[in-house]
Amino acid sequence: MNRLIRPSLDAIFKKNKEWVATKTNADPAFFDKLSAGQSPDYLDSRVPANEIMGLEAGEVFVHRNIANLVPNVDLNVMSVINYAVRHLHVKHIIVCGHYNCGGVKAALTSADLGLLNPWLRNIRDVYRLHEQELDAIKEDDKRYNRLIELNVIESCRNIIKTAAVQQSYENNQYPIVHGLVFDLRDGLLRDLEVDFESMLQDVKKIYCLSPGSKTE
Amino acid sequence: MFPLPPPVLAHNAASRPLTLSLPRASPFATSAPLSCKNHKLSGAAVDASDPETNRAGLRADKYTDGLRLNKDWAANTARDHPELFPTLATGQKPQILWLGCSDSRCPETSMLGLQPGDVFVHRNIANIMHPGDLSSGAVIEYAVKYLGVKHIVVCGHTSCGGVAAAMGNKELGILDPWLLPLRQVRERNLSLLQSLSDEEAALKLVELNVREGLSVVTQKSAVLNAIQERGLQVHGLIYDVASGVLRELDIQETEDSLKHRLLAFKTE
Repeated sequence: MNRLIRPSLDAIFKKNKEWVATKTNADPAFFDKLSAGQSPDYLDSRVPANEIMGLEAGEVFVHRNIANLVPNVDLNVMSVINYAVRHLHVKHIIVCGHYNCGGVKAALTSADLGLLNPWLRNIRDVYRLHEQELDAIKEDDKRYNRLIELNVIESCRNIIKTAAVQQSYENNQYPIVHGLVFDLRDGLLRDLEVDFESMLQDVKKIYCLSPGSKTE
Repeated sequence: MFPLPPPVLAHNAASRPLTLSLPRASPFATSAPLSCKNHKLSGAAVDASDPETNRAGLRADKYTDGLRLNKDWAANTARDHPELFPTLATGQKPQILWLGCSDSRCPETSMLGLQPGDVFVHRNIANIMHPGDLSSGAVIEYAVKYLGVKHIVVCGHTSCGGVAAAMGNKELGILDPWLLPLRQVRERNLSLLQSLSDEEAALKLVELNVREGLSVVTQKSAVLNAIQERGLQVHGLIYDVASGVLRELDIQETEDSLKHRLLAFKTE
């Protein structure tokens, strides 16, 4: 049994060393700068955040979970948002989904997935919120992909419900919340063009946690 | 819409400037005394929260850069690895499940020199594994049962803000219940940690937290089954943000300890 859990990541460590060498060759001070601090943004996805945005280590603070959900009672994601906004002062929060998401498809199958059920149920809730629109889309793939977009937008809304985001935006005019979808076929990001200001005003009608601010 | 009593939040007090500059004694500061003197976590954040720079240029920043650079990245990746995107579009078969910290200095796929599609990832504050957390629980379940990953990695890192916070005693609201397991590890190892310098103690807690995370992960029946049935391997790593180098922890356990774990946690 010990054999089975004995670490053997030689290939990985080799790659890591190559990456370190590449970074150090290109910029001898790279790791010195990194260790001097981080000023990240926040991104949630099932794709490597830094790479697809062409950004370096130290620039993107990352939380990743199944189907980029932001459940209101999930302490995990709420801690990440709180820390990123109140302590790292991120300027942008990105929710990033991706088309052809297996998790979203799994969430819509009539199967008992045990431990995964409560997590994936959040996606079914998004479907229920947009039932008419989604039911009207006849093609399965198109309907799934629209659900993926709506799921991203719902996560944006849940982020905006937090006290940290509302208060920080009121005082500092940041962070701004964005919804993106990554297309695995060509590696491109599509901006869903979430209107942050108007979504914030809309959310605050019921979820206002920044008493100093005005709602319209 | 809902009239509420006057704000009691300290930072809403009218007499205080409403800036978000990081307090000097940030509970997450991993600069001195918890880390090397040149580790100034607060440096960039303080500059960026200068009110003068808040509005202007907010949109012309890393976010805009990121969206622009994505186009270059997609084109370059398609050129250098023509098979990658068509393959990724059909599904994923990652060999590694990565359980790491959200810290922006720890980009797992880059530091491993791997490609999109290679690593299934969950990252949270201080790579803490709560036994009852549905988020990480769903990730582990999906990765082990449905994706059939061969390796699970729990990775901590030097100058971790979450660890620094758990070594201090400042109230942090919603972050407190999240950091609780770190404090439990701190309590169980109090005399050891007190015998060390601040910097050494923080690093020790990073290591102990990785070991604790591995313990929680290997208490899950899906993981125990996969270890026995198909040789799933678990690993504990520490990433040094100052050098970019990963260090592997020795996590060998005795036959007895493994037997006890199986007896107590394995379900059919």
